[in-house]
Amino acid sequence: MIPDYYEFCNSTKIVSGARAIEHIGYELAALGASRPLVLTNAQLLELKVATIVIDALADTDAEVAGVYDAVPVDSSAAVVDDVARAYREAGADAIVAVGGGSVLDTAKGAMIVLTHGGSLMEHRGAESLLGRRAVTFIAIPTTAGTGSEVTSAAVIKDTDRHVKMGFTSLSLLPDVAILDPRLTVGLPPRLTASTAMDALTHAVESVSCVQANPLSDCYAKAAIGLIRDYLPVALDDPRSSKARLALANAALMAGAAFSNAMVGIVHAMGHAAGGVAGIPHGEAMSVLLPHGMAYNLDVACDRYGELLIDLAGVETHAATPAADRGAAAIGAVRSITALLHERTGLPVTLGEMGVQPEQIPDIARAALDDGAMSMNPKQPSYEELIDILKGAL
Amino acid sequence: MARTGWRAKRGRKAVAAVVFAVLGRGLVAAARLDERVRAEAASWPEDTVITLRIAPFGPQVSWRMGEGVLEYLGGAQVTPSLAVTFKSVDGALPLLVGMKSVLGAFAEHRATVAGDLALAMSFVRCLHIVEGYLFPDLMTRRILPRPAERRAGHLVAYGTLVFRRARLEGASS
Repeated sequence: MIPDYYEFCNSTKIVSGARAIEHIGYELAALGASRPLVLTNAQLLELKVATIVIDALADTDAEVAGVYDAVPVDSSAAVVDDVARAYREAGADAIVAVGGGSVLDTAKGAMIVLTHGGSLMEHRGAESLLGRRAVTFIAIPTTAGTGSEVTSAAVIKDTDRHVKMGFTSLSLLPDVAILDPRLTVGLPPRLTASTAMDALTHAVESVSCVQANPLSDCYAKAAIGLIRDYLPVALDDPRSSKARLALANAALMAGAAFSNAMVGIVHAMGHAAGGVAGIPHGEAMSVLLPHGMAYNLDVACDRYGELLIDLAGVETHAATPAADRGAAAIGAVRSITALLHERTGLPVTLGEMGVQPEQIPDIARAALDDGAMSMNPKQPSYEELIDILKGAL
Repeated sequence: MARTGWRAKRGRKAVAAVVFAVLGRGLVAAARLDERVRAEAASWPEDTVITLRIAPFGPQVSWRMGEGVLEYLGGAQVTPSLAVTFKSVDGALPLLVGMKSVLGAFAEHRATVAGDLALAMSFVRCLHIVEGYLFPDLMTRRILPRPAERRAGHLVAYGTLVFRRARLEGASS
């Protein structure tokens, strides 16, 4: 597959492996920073996860300018503006974000405000932020799902309108991403499963979206293979550093894939459902992925078919006629979600997460307005979205 | 092979300016003729100004939605609530002459968006409808996400192009 035109950028340095966090002092010094603001949330401090990073920073030349631990599960423009204020007041020269997608995306939002001034809401858009970033940024994910540590995108909630706003700009790419299995070995099974399904959805959608390109495909397919091989291992043995590191790398690679190829209908519906019904993003992805793939099948059959080898293995791929591989890929995803439902209780319907039938029209309307929809290979009507969402209910 | 040089570039900008003028009035015409455009525009916040432009020096076209009226502002200098900016005239032209879809141009990073992406999605849906009126089926089959549904024929649509304003029933004011 070679598009007429494409762009690809992944400038983030990756530091991945056992005790990788201990290199944070070197990385900060290499970037010329010495007063980082640590951005995290109270739960990660309480669980002593963020403490691993703070302890590592204590053994460096850098001086921690402050610890901001009030990032909520669904960050908002108001929180972003508050982080920017805290950064300025602390006299910081870098942000070290330790957390899941919400913390990392909050850091990205704060960088927009710190670089361009004003409030976050004044800088909404896609690819419209120009100029060099004013803040050094190290991203340290504590889940293996969002891939935000290598993406040029941030999702932040507009609490007034109950919608999730997307921001995309290459200036949001972190300078360094650190993957250390110590940060994810404590994840409970259901969160391990839902975040892995978020990463899987990034990878699958990046391949079928209209911005897909040869480089993003490489990242996506490698990510899917790692999830297939190591998600069962992480569920069997949650303390397995190898499995945790593999899943963290899978999430990162899926992030690099979708950062350059975008996501589509599954994320558009998931963002909308998150905004309207407040359901967790990873679980929404797990439920909606096979439904979105089924909707796209007539235009993305070949692309999904290519993924069968990564989703189900060489034998299954070889035993399946070429024309049937796209549908078989959806079947392989359904098998994974069924297995995760059985092993971790991960939901397979929106209803299990508390979505009510009367919320479906609002979710469909918000999904139509979500920027991710624009990159889907097929543009659904409102009525088609209602049908898809009812099918997932 | 496309011509290069400043003369060719100036020619492409002149074509873009003409298309912007037609598109600018076309959106207003579509709002008069088609309830889908009226409904989209009516959902835009009061005093929304949308600008479509080519970086760095234009041309550009703008519309304002206010007091229940969608107004064509031509190439006037405005402060837009939503700006869709093509990075170059070469990236804009295939879209403007109906050879490439709006979403295809975004997929190829030909344009940036400054403003609310939900508003941008609504605007893009309007452009799809306008393109359905301006271009023949031979072209719309390639550039629209679904077959064009028209509430009036091409001749009626072109006849409506003279108007600069459209009052929208049900618009917020």
